[in-house]
This record gives sequence, structure tokens and C-alpha cells, in this order.
Amino acid sequence: MIQSASLLESWTQENNQLASGCKLSPHVFLLLCLSLSGIPPHLDRAQLELSVVYNTCVCFTAQSQFDEAELLLTQTAQRLLQIAGDDPGTSDPSVLWRTALKSVTGTALHRRVLSLLCLQWGVWLAKSRLTAVQDFQEMSLLEAQSGAVWNDCRAETKEKISNIPILVLDPRRLVDLLKICTAIVQGAERLTEGWSVLSALQAASASPAPRALIAYTHLLSGSCLAHMNRPQMALQCYRKALETDPRCVCALYQSALIYSRLENSQAEIQALRILHSMLLLPSTTEPAMAAGRLLSPSLFLCSQSLSSLLSVPSALSVLHSLALKCVIHSRVSEGVECYLDLLAALQSEDQHGVRVHAVVSTLPKLPRLYLEAGAALLMARRPADCMALCDEVIGSTLDLLPEKVLLEDPVARRVAGSGEVTEEAENGLVRLLWTAAAYLLQGHCYSQLKDWKQAVTHYTRCINLLVKVHYKDTDKDPEQGVDLCVLQRLKGLSLAGRGISFAQIDRLREALRDLQLSRQAHPEGVSARRWYGEVLWRLDRKQEAAACWEQTWSNPIPSLSEALPVYAQELQSGPLLDSAELHQKLQELGPT
Amino acid sequence: MMEGRCAAESWAEFGLLGKSGTPLVKCGTGTDVFICTGGEEVYVFTAQEKTLRAVLQMPAAVRDVVVSHDEQLLFVACWSGVYCVNVQLLVPSFSHDAGSGPTELKISTECLVAVADRASSLLVVGSVLLTLCRTDASWSLTLYQIQRTSQSDPCDLLASFSLPLVSPKVQSDAESRCVLVCVYPGNLMPASSPPHPLRSHYPLQPLLFRRLFGAEAALSKSPVVLCGLPDGRLSFLPLRIPGSRLRILHSLEQSVVFVGASAVMETDAGCAGCLIALGKQGRAVLIRAGRAGLEGGGGTRFTLGCVPGPVECACMDQSRVYYSTGSDLLMVDLWDGSSGTAGRQGDKEDEASRSNPAAFLTPISLNVSGVVALHQPTYSSAGEVQLLSLSVRGRLQSIRLPVRTQEDSLSKRPSSQVGRSVGDILSAIGDICERASVLKTIIRSKNQILKQLNQVMNISFLLSNRSESDLKPVRCRGSVRWSRLLQRDSLNLTCVLENLSPFILERGWTLSVTVLPLSCPLEAGGEASSVNYSFPFSGLGPEESVEVSLPVATAGDASFPVTVTCSLLFSLWRFLGQEEATAPLDLQSACFSLPLNTLTVDWLDALRLSDPPAPARSSSSPADLLQGFISSRQLRCRGGGQASRPEEYSARVRVSSELLRDALGLAPGSPRVSLLEWLLSEGCGGVKMERKGIKTDGSSSVICGSAPDNATVKLTAEEVNVEEKTKPLVTVEVQVKSSSVAAVCGLHHAVMRRIQTLLQKAGSSRVVPTADLRLALQQAEEQRGQVWEASSVGVSSGQTPPLLLRVYQQLRDGPLLIL
Repeated sequence: MIQSASLLESWTQENNQLASGCKLSPHVFLLLCLSLSGIPPHLDRAQLELSVVYNTCVCFTAQSQFDEAELLLTQTAQRLLQIAGDDPGTSDPSVLWRTALKSVTGTALHRRVLSLLCLQWGVWLAKSRLTAVQDFQEMSLLEAQSGAVWNDCRAETKEKISNIPILVLDPRRLVDLLKICTAIVQGAERLTEGWSVLSALQAASASPAPRALIAYTHLLSGSCLAHMNRPQMALQCYRKALETDPRCVCALYQSALIYSRLENSQAEIQALRILHSMLLLPSTTEPAMAAGRLLSPSLFLCSQSLSSLLSVPSALSVLHSLALKCVIHSRVSEGVECYLDLLAALQSEDQHGVRVHAVVSTLPKLPRLYLEAGAALLMARRPADCMALCDEVIGSTLDLLPEKVLLEDPVARRVAGSGEVTEEAENGLVRLLWTAAAYLLQGHCYSQLKDWKQAVTHYTRCINLLVKVHYKDTDKDPEQGVDLCVLQRLKGLSLAGRGISFAQIDRLREALRDLQLSRQAHPEGVSARRWYGEVLWRLDRKQEAAACWEQTWSNPIPSLSEALPVYAQELQSGPLLDSAELHQKLQELGPT
Repeated sequence: MMEGRCAAESWAEFGLLGKSGTPLVKCGTGTDVFICTGGEEVYVFTAQEKTLRAVLQMPAAVRDVVVSHDEQLLFVACWSGVYCVNVQLLVPSFSHDAGSGPTELKISTECLVAVADRASSLLVVGSVLLTLCRTDASWSLTLYQIQRTSQSDPCDLLASFSLPLVSPKVQSDAESRCVLVCVYPGNLMPASSPPHPLRSHYPLQPLLFRRLFGAEAALSKSPVVLCGLPDGRLSFLPLRIPGSRLRILHSLEQSVVFVGASAVMETDAGCAGCLIALGKQGRAVLIRAGRAGLEGGGGTRFTLGCVPGPVECACMDQSRVYYSTGSDLLMVDLWDGSSGTAGRQGDKEDEASRSNPAAFLTPISLNVSGVVALHQPTYSSAGEVQLLSLSVRGRLQSIRLPVRTQEDSLSKRPSSQVGRSVGDILSAIGDICERASVLKTIIRSKNQILKQLNQVMNISFLLSNRSESDLKPVRCRGSVRWSRLLQRDSLNLTCVLENLSPFILERGWTLSVTVLPLSCPLEAGGEASSVNYSFPFSGLGPEESVEVSLPVATAGDASFPVTVTCSLLFSLWRFLGQEEATAPLDLQSACFSLPLNTLTVDWLDALRLSDPPAPARSSSSPADLLQGFISSRQLRCRGGGQASRPEEYSARVRVSSELLRDALGLAPGSPRVSLLEWLLSEGCGGVKMERKGIKTDGSSSVICGSAPDNATVKLTAEEVNVEEKTKPLVTVEVQVKSSSVAAVCGLHHAVMRRIQTLLQKAGSSRVVPTADLRLALQQAEEQRGQVWEASSVGVSSGQTPPLLLRVYQQLRDGPLLIL
């Protein structure tokens, strides 16, 4: 008996040495654990054994070895039942723990068992077994019980410090951490299932926890509110999340999405800009493990729906949408800067450029980016730069172009068209459209430079490419695919451009023909129609011109939209007709 | 054609190659060469001083070695992961003292920079380290960021791409290596590249690059990684395009050994106009850009070729590929007008070479055997090509190739070089001799195998071309004998396989004997189960025989007759042995079976004879006496309730003596004895009973014995005169008597079977009187009525068995006359 007691003491000392050591490893604890489990279970030693098991499991969990931790926990529960002489006859952990907890109620072991049970809770949470977690919460009303038990536990430890085995992590802190993590994970799960979880999240946000976790609760509340169609309140929540934890970039991204929904473009651009600069900061999302923090919260936050809620696109994607937004909402010079940054980032060889493809990219294809950038440069009146970009696109695609593109009938295409945008994007048609768009932009550049002959040459090249595409013009279904729509637009724009250029060098017949054709290809083209009237006027067909102009008053040139590539829209870069002058002409005509 | 004769100079010996790793020779920093011999060591060898400078002891077998662009770091892929070693550590800190051996470095897991399970290939592109690993279901290409500051920290994982395995079964060979190379558009090699060209990095003609990898890759000027996989797929990954993934460029359909690039024309200015991939069995593909705008967007020409395989390793310079088949080192000039068509000819010839790929690449032998690893060729100032190679014996060799343009100046060598060249010639002769003897033994063994396969073909033709009734030239005879082992009697069948064909049955053949009881005792489930025995044998010449013995039944087992089916099995696995059958043979084609004859062991064969007067067991041993006593006691006890004497069953068969005489060719004296003798001795199912001789006294012709179920049986034969219509007929009546119904039935069946064969032998020329038949028919109908009655009555009363037994008795007692 004496020997046994001294052995117990030496084991306790060993545990305490290990626990107070600086490098915690589950394996050293596991050795101790094994030597303890070698002897038959007994109530005297149970205190020590449970403490060692607790320490071991904490270390296992810290190293994401959840399976090992769970196995050890189950074994311990079984040993406990051996002491009590109970045998539930099952290996179901929740039944085991229920029985074990019942068998130790009222004894000194109770709180040890409870802390082990908390670890089991953590393991379940880490493995996303939320039903088990819920069972557990319902089963043991643990907050009330454990709080009381652990309070007197603290008093006890103060009394006799030497004989009590040290724990590597205070069970109360573990409970706090687990509580908020559970609230977050459950909130995310229910949110994706469409439930309202506001109250639970708000309760959780008041609990003591690391800032990052509190920020997550605010973020989830925001998402919940956004689902409930209360964007302003959601924005408030996102702001709170950011105030709590400035590194919570996801809140910023979600706010940008909400601004986009509210069509508050200036605020959206602002949010995207901040988001981009934050994403460029050195990654500090995972701060080094603080001295007292053995378990990182990220261990328990690995649920699928949570990570999809927390995901943020890559910095380059953000930069691209920022650039596009700027260009569309007439902040062209900013947009141009963003585009140039984006292209530079893509070309550079540093790690940032490589990291791009780590995530599934939402960036459009590179030639399209070039063309968008070119369009932005054109709008910013930098035609030389635009032409250089277009030259690159043409150089890389020109000798890959097919002789002829034959589109299959719309029904077949619609069947295959679902994955069109993401997969196999670089087919003949797409390449052809890229090259044609590059020629179109070059034509625009020359017309901006008032070099009409060159403009005509480039518009002609564009048209010659576009007529290589053959398709059955059966029905004008808007869902026929973006490519076809772009094709029609490019055709209309290039013909209009050539017509206008012809008009500038006084070849009015060709101009009239091209503008007529442009109106057929793309009836919505406003500048083509106005110029059509102008040419008619110059040809002295004033009544027709007047009728044509009358039609165009009602609809001004539409602003740019996100649905189509920027370069396939009317950029207002070419020569404009002064509407006042047109009015004057009409009034002249009026009396006659 | 140039007959290449090259000088091989041995630089160092590293001992025999290990099996676990990959043999490698790779250029390192400066003139250093890294050598792996398949074990856990990496040797650092200086080519300049021809000394071993350092040895790295890795924790596991080495798969690949690569040096970073700035030549500061050495990455070594082992089974467990990728280790990083600072090259500065390999330089000895003090100046070379004479006798100071190579620096030995033990690399521990602290140098592990990337945990890559089963990493098989490495590549460094800029500051990115790429590893290719095989996981359970896919190939995965993983990108790591090389740490600039301290090389001991693990590298950051940048991205991982995977390509599913085609079929896991085919690629079970985990040893096979993959090839990783990097290509660049134009001359856009990384700025930090060292002065000499990097191994596995090739600048590619911009047009070819665009056509192969698309406009996006060309626009971003991204380096593209090419992976040659052991399943033959050649896949590519543009590194700098967002959202790119591994895609297949081509499939070689055999393990890719080498991927390289070569300049087609002088105008290429340092860019390669042609990609080349070599497969393990010698298939080659050349990928070039076709003429612009010919067939639209594609315009890439894939020219397939073939070189004599197997390709162990390969390397190439601007226009020539050097490869080793293990027994020889060969050189292929890709653009030589005389040997290759791929040079500048048009598409027409291309088509021709596609249809006849073997005619396409003609290699030139360099007469160096046993090369397992090659290093990229280097050029001396005189234009000599130098190759570094590692032989299968672990010898590091420097192979210098003669300058092609100066063939005629060979004779004008200074005398100092003559001695050296004689030495070279001698070593070359030694190499060739070694190679020739290896090839000879291979040819001999192949010839032997072909001869043996011819025999197999002949035998299978002989055996498969005959119907069951024919006598096959290879067949089995059988004889049965009761033997006693451990107080248990068992009936053993000795099966003799006779080869009466003119061919030899050699290794690979197995005699398979299947024993199938016709019936089975009810308590065993009523379902007869067969037992299969196989006896592999090797070498059975013409007129030879092989004897095997197998148990058929044990005493007390009444499941006769037993059908014994013999067949010959041929297995290509056994024929080729372990080492030859490396190529995957599927089970169906690797094994076939040829049926031989079928033997039958029936009740008569299994009958154990005792002396004729049944009660006077004078000659029996005491044990037998005791046994008899006990069994009689048992019988009495069992029948105690009813009759004291057990019921006797009997069955009779009558055969006309005339028929017997004719068929058996007997003397007219005593047909009954000879009939019994014939019944017991002459096996008609191909099985013979070994007996000491039948003891019958001439007058009574009674045979007593015990059936396999231990029931006593009496067989009698006597002459009976039958009044058949008008004329009297002498017949022999065989009667079977026993207390066991099973024995009576079985013996009757056996007797009938034998007499049937007798009739077949006698021929069917006899006339059968119809009147008798009618009588027999009447009788049969009567009995059928009884059976029907029995079944209808018996369903309710449960008296069917006795009724049926009675009918059976009547059937058997009314003796059937056989004429």
C-alpha cells in the first residue's frame, strides 16, 4: 500500500512536470497514460488517471489528432464504468458518457469526468457531428452544473497545490471556447438550411471569447439579416464585426455585396478598395498561438457551410471587380489604374502571382482582361496604350483562329451550354471574338486619333473575322448564349464604326450601307442610328433623317452594364453628334 | 551511315545499384555531378578533379534530385518527402588535403521541407518547387514556395493539382518514374537562370507554344510544366494562369521515359521547334507546329515514331537523342536527312511515316552496354560530345563521341592517342562480348520456350480434336484397391496417365482428377459434391506413364458409382516460371484445360471378396471375426422388435450362354464361372480391381463378399434352361443377394452396365423376338400401375416406401433375359 501510494505520488509529479514543461506533446502524456492503464482501475488512482487522460487529449486535439483523442476518451469512459461496476453493453459514446456521469455524481471525480466530456464535445464539434453535440447539450445542462463544480474546484486547488495533478488547460476556458464555437458552427449550419438564428448568435456575441470569434457571430447575424431582406441592419452587423476584429475581411466583402444589391456603387467601390488593400497585407489571419492558448479556435470551426460563408475571393478577383465597377460607374481613370495593376500582378513572377491559382479563380480569361483594360484605356483617351494591349491579344490569338466557325443549332447548344463559361472556354469562337474585339478597339483608337483610313482598315478586319461565324438564325432567343450576343454586338459596333469613319471622309454611300447593316445587326445601337440620320441629311434626304432622329430622342445611349464585356458595348469614344445641333437642324426642317 | 565508336572512360565505381531508389546522374553546381545509385546516398562528384567530394546519407531511398536556379539549394526527393540541403555545406571547409576523404553528411528529418508521400519527381521553376506524387487514386502535382531566408523551414504549399489514375490495376508499378519538364514561350527563360542551359527547361518556339497551350498561356508568357506519367499520358499545366488545371496533351500508351525539346531549323534561334517524348517500349512522338492556317485552330502535328526499345533512360542535345536500352547505347539523329523523314519534308511523307512508324527513326549503336542513367551531353571546344552515364554495375563513365565531320581524319592520329584508342577498342570489345553472351543466353532460352510451346500446341490439337468416344492418345487408366490405414478401410484409385502420342508433355502441365459421386447419402444433403485433385508433373515422354494415387471412398460410404473425370491443365504461369512472366497475363488466356477420358468406379469394383462359404470364416483374422460377430449382434438387436432374421433382397439377370460365349470368346464348358470372373475382373469403366484371384469352386460358382457399406453380398451364377416360345434356351442367371437394398441396387446396376458393354461388343446383329418384348411390356405396365397406386395411396398413409420397395423387388426378381 505504501509503495502504491508513493507510486501514485511519483506519477503525479511526472504529470505535473510534463504539464508545466514548455513543449507539450501528446506522446509523452500517452506514455504516462499507458503506464496508468496497465494497472486495474481503482478509485484512488482515478483522479490522477483522468487528469492525465485530459492532458493527453488536449494535446491530441491541439494537433488535430481527433481520432486518437476520441479513442482514448472512449476507453477512459469504459474504465470508469469498470470502477463503478456498470456495463451499459454498448460502445455508443453518448450512452457511455451518460452512464459514466451518472455513476460518479456526487463524488470527487464528477468534475474530472465533466471536463473529459467537454473534450469529447470538442472532438464532436471538430468532426462536425452536430447532432451529437446537441444531444450532449440537452443531456447535461452543463453550464449550470459545471459552473458550480468548477468554482469549488478552484478553491480546492488553492489549498493543496502539490498533490493535485496539474491540467494543461483550464477546463472553464475550454468550455467558453467550445460554447462560442458551437454557436458559430450551428449558426452557420442553420443559416444555410434557411433558419433564423439571430437570438442564439446575439447571445453568443455577448460571451467572453476571442475577438475573432465575436466578430464571426456578428458576421453571421449580418448574413442572417441579409437573408431576411434587411440590408441596412445587415450592414450594421458587418460594421460591428469589423469594429470587433479589423481582420474580418469577410465582413467587408459581404458589405460590398450588399452595396451592390442596393446599387450604391460609390460605397461598393469603396468597400472593394479597402478589401483589396487588406487582402494584400501579409496574412495575419492565423496569429501565433499565444502562451496561454493551447487550442486554436480554428480547430473547431471546420464546418463546410461555415467556410463557404466565410470565403472571400482572391485579391486579384477583388481587384478585377473593383476595376470593372470603376469603369462602369464612370470613374474611368481609377479603373484604368486598377486594370494596369491587375495586369502587372498577373505578369509578375512573385509569389503573389503564383498564389492566384490556389483558389478556384473567378477571374475572366486573360485575353478578356486585356481587352477590358484596353477599353478602359480607350475611354480614358489613351489610344496608344490601348492599341499596344490589343496588339498583344492579336499576336497571341491570330494564328490560332479557325477558318470558319459553324455553330450547331440552338437546341443542342443550350444542352451543352451550361458549362460553357467555365469549361473549354478557349474554343475557336471565343478566340475569334477576342481577336475581333481587339480589332474593333483598334478601330476605335484610330477614329479617336481621327486617322479615318486606318480606322476603316481595322473595322474591316474585325468585320471580316466576324463573318466567318455561321449559324442558323432561327430564333432570337436571349438565352442563346453570351457569345452569340457578343458576336452580334461586335458586328453592329464595327459596322457602325466603319460607317462613321466613311462618313468622316465623305464616302457617304458606303457610310449609309454600313450604318444600315449595323442597324440590322444591332438594332439597339444609338450612335449608329443618329449617324444614319446624319448621313441621310448630308445626302439631302432630310425627311428620312428627321424621322430617324425623332426615334433616337426617346432613348439615350445606354450606360454600361455588367452583363456583357465592356468592349462589346458603346463606349462613346468616337465622334459625337451634338444633339443641340440636330435639334436646330430639325427646326430648320420643320417649317418647310 | 556512321558507325559510331566511342571512348568510354570509367571515372568511379559506386558498387551495385540498389533497387529501392532511382539511379540518377544530374548536373549540379559548376562541374559537380550528383549521382544516385538507387540507394539512400547522394554522391557529389567533381568532374574536373574526378574525385568524390561528398556523400549525403538520406533517411530513405532517393527518387530525384534537383538544384535551385541560384545553385544554392539542393532538393532531394525521397519516399517520405523532399529534403533541402545547402550546397555550401558540400564544399569542404578547408582546402583539399591529400587523403581527406569526401565529406559525409547525414541528412535528418530536420531538413525536410515538404512532406510529400511517395514523391517521385522534382522540378524547380523560378522560386517554385514542384513535386509529382502518386496517391491512391490520382497523380498530384504540388507547388511549394522555396524559402529564401532559411532552407530548414518547411516550404509553403502554394497549390496542388491532381489528375485521376486511368486504372489503378495497370499502374501498380509504383517504382516507375515520372518526367517533369518546363517549357517557356520564346526565349523567355527566367532571368535568374544560370549561364549554362538548365536540364529539364526548354525554350519553345512561340508559334508551337501558342498552338499547344493556347492564347491565354501565350499572353501571360507563363512557363508550362509538362508531366510524363507512367501510364503514357503527357499532361501540361500553365503555371501563371489563374484557374488553370492539368490537361492532357497526348497519350503515348506506354510509360513515358523522356521528354525533351529540339531545334528543328537554324532559324529558331535557340528556341526548340519540336517537343519529343519517348516511351518505355520505344514509341516516340514528335510534336511540331504545322503550317499556319492549314486546318484552322489546331495546326499542331503529332508525328509518331518508333525506336527499338526498351528505353531505359535518354537525353538529348540540339538534334540528337541518346538513349540506352540497357544492353546498348543508341543515338538517333532526328533531323538527319538520311535517317529521319521528320526534317523538312512535307506532309505526304509524314503520312507515310505514320502508317509505318518503324521505318521512321533509325538509331546508330554506340556500343556501350548497361547504361541506366544518362546526363545531358556537353560539348568540348573541339565539338566532341561528352555524355556522363551510370552503368548497371554502378560505374560512372564518361562517354566521348567522335566528331562527326572529321571521320576521315581518324587515321592521322598522333601516336600518343593510338595507345589510348587501342585501349578504348579493347574495352569496347569487352563490352560487346559481354552484351553478346547475354543476348545469346536470352536467345537460347527463348528458342527453348518456343520449342516447348510448339509441343504444347501439338498436344492440345491432338486432344481437342477428338470426340469423347475416340480413344485419345493421352489417357488415364485406373485401378482400385482397398487399403487399410489407421483402422480405416479406404478405396484407393491409382490413376495411370499414359502418353501414347509422339509428343512430350513438358513443364506447365497438370493432371487434374475430379471425383464426383453419382449420389450422396441423404444425410449429407443429397447433393453430390465433387473433389478435385491436381498433380503437376514435368516431362512425360512418348510411351511413358505417370502414376498417381487418390482416395475415392472410405468403408461405409455407399455413394457409388463414382465418376472420375481426368483432364490435363496447361498454365502459362507455371510454364514461364516467375521471372519470365513479368508481362501481365490475364487468367483466362494463361490457362486452359483439355479433357481426357472419364473413369467409373462402381459397386462391383468396390466389392471386397471373401471366401465363398460365407459362414465358415476360417481364413479371417481374429479382428475380422470379432467385427463379424459384432455386426451380427447389431443386426440382431436392430431387428429385435420384428423378425430375428434380417430381410434378404435379391436381383436376377439372365444372359443367354450363346451370347456370352460369343462375346467373351470362352470355351463352351463353364460359362457361369467365367461370367463371374469377367464381371469382377474386367473393368469396363476403365477401372480395374486388383484382386488376388477369384476363389470359386467350379460347381457352385458362388462369390461372397462385402459391399462398401459393409453389407454381405452373395453373387451366384447358374445355368438355367428357359422355355422361350418353342425352342429351349440355355441361359446363365446371375443373382445378387444381400441384406442391404443399396448393395443389391448398386450391384445390379453395375452388372447391367457391364453386360450392356458386352452387348455393344457383340454387335447388334441379333434378332430380338418380339413376343418376349410384349410380355415384358405387359409386366412393366402392370408394375407401373402398382407404382401409381402406391403413390396415390401412400401420400396419405405414409406407406409409400414399403410399397415402392415391393415393386422394385418384383422388378428385379422377374429376371430380364438378355439375348
